[in-house]
Amino acid sequence: MANSLASSINYIRLSELSGKINAAIDTSFGKSGFWVIADITNHSFRSQKKYHHFELVEKDPDSNQLLARIAGKAWGDGATRILYFETVTGQPFTDNINVLLYVSVQYHAVYGLQLDLLDIDPNFTLGVLAQQRQATLDKLVAENPEYIKKAGDVYITKNIRLKFNAVIQRIAVISSKTSAGGEDFRHTLQHNPFGYQFYIDEYYTSVQGENNADQFLNKLLEVFYSGKPYDAVVITRGGGAQTDFLIFDNYKIGRAVARFPIPVITGIGHHKNESIADLMANTQTKTPTKAAEFIIAHNKRYADDMLSLQHNIVIKSQQLFSRHFQSLTSLNSLVVNHGRNMLTGKKDELTRINRSVIHVTRTVVFRKKTVLVNLSSQMLSGPKIIIYNRLNDIRQLVGSLKTFEVQYLRNKIGYLGHFRSVIKMMSPENILSKGFAIVKSRNKITSNPDDIAIGNDIDIILSGTQIKSTVKQKSRYDGSDFNL
Amino acid sequence: MMDQILTYESAYQELAEIAREIETESVSVDVLAQKVKRASELVTFCQTKLKSTESEVNKIIAQMESTDPKP
Repeated sequence: MANSLASSINYIRLSELSGKINAAIDTSFGKSGFWVIADITNHSFRSQKKYHHFELVEKDPDSNQLLARIAGKAWGDGATRILYFETVTGQPFTDNINVLLYVSVQYHAVYGLQLDLLDIDPNFTLGVLAQQRQATLDKLVAENPEYIKKAGDVYITKNIRLKFNAVIQRIAVISSKTSAGGEDFRHTLQHNPFGYQFYIDEYYTSVQGENNADQFLNKLLEVFYSGKPYDAVVITRGGGAQTDFLIFDNYKIGRAVARFPIPVITGIGHHKNESIADLMANTQTKTPTKAAEFIIAHNKRYADDMLSLQHNIVIKSQQLFSRHFQSLTSLNSLVVNHGRNMLTGKKDELTRINRSVIHVTRTVVFRKKTVLVNLSSQMLSGPKIIIYNRLNDIRQLVGSLKTFEVQYLRNKIGYLGHFRSVIKMMSPENILSKGFAIVKSRNKITSNPDDIAIGNDIDIILSGTQIKSTVKQKSRYDGSDFNL
Repeated sequence: MMDQILTYESAYQELAEIAREIETESVSVDVLAQKVKRASELVTFCQTKLKSTESEVNKIIAQMESTDPKP
């Protein structure tokens, strides 16, 4: 029926139609280009021809439903711009990245409507990713104050505050089953040059694409609920584009890592930026191999500490022993020497005392003897001397007696002569011879004129002659004839 | 003597005390012989103890070094 109808209907060939479409598009769009924001999907790249094929899509931000989809390609200058974009952002041009593209609209009779990529803005992609990441970080800090704190530019999480066990030996690894990163990690650990043993449990999950966040989270919970005493949880992933890491910027995963009670080590395999999981994890390393090396180094440090402790113990104990032996020896010789010296000293002292006792005794005896001799000689000589002295005294006395006798007699004779001459001088004869006379009244010698009265007879005796007279007169006589 | 509970530390302290007494000659000659005898006993005790401890420690160290995984 279609064939019969065909003759009666005006039709054109498809190529004519496509020619018209082409003309219409060319008229509408021409060679002018548009800056367009879109996500990339279904990307493929033929490296020989440097030819990119992809689709640009726009999704509803709430429902995630597709709002638009147009195929795209890039080659020549466009491919060169993509290479530049990758160099600047560190972000491979691949699926699930949000980009700002400069495109021209083209229509091809066979391939249909296509957008030709002329340029791509690296700054836009960087900005979008950074904004999303910062928003997630802010939310983590705001909503989990007890687990996540920001100090300056650094985040401090509960997981970061955990201390590794001295040895990291039981390890839970969360990786993709097909991931080269997980394999690198295992290989590096198991072929460590020190022969350390590790017990590794694998927890496989898809570690790509933000949509797998819940699956990833469940694996983390599985590790937690296993109840096994893991020393560390290692999250690995090897290679890939930056958007492949978006799962590690996921809020739930970031929060789970921050709160996880076992230290988390990341080895996510990127060099440019840190993912949020990296920031929340106890330790971040750049690659799975580096994560393994970190663990080996941690254990090596412990082994080295042990070795150096052992070494110290050996040295210190030897030092201790030698010091004790030395001090024992010195104490011993001190006791011996001083003991000996002390004995010698005491012996010398004894000898000295002995000698001095003998000497002093001798001296004392000698002195006493001398005193005794002196005393006895005194005893002997004393009486003699006394007697001699007495005799001498007597002799002198006798001598002086003799002398004094003569003298005495002479003196006495002198005295006597004197007295004789005095008496001779005083004798009445002498006195009478000097003119004096004795007066006698009634035959008595008188010196008192009152006994003589006028008319009395008196006898006057003068120089051997007695004269008898009578008193005629009596008067007072004041002559000074006798005044000597 | 009261050697039954003698430790190295107490023996050493006693020895040091005797040495000090003898050095300062604060010890009486009456007990000097006794003290020196005691000192010699203490020295012997300490040396014996030290030697046996040393050989024991050396044995343990040798063991430690032989079980060392990474010589």
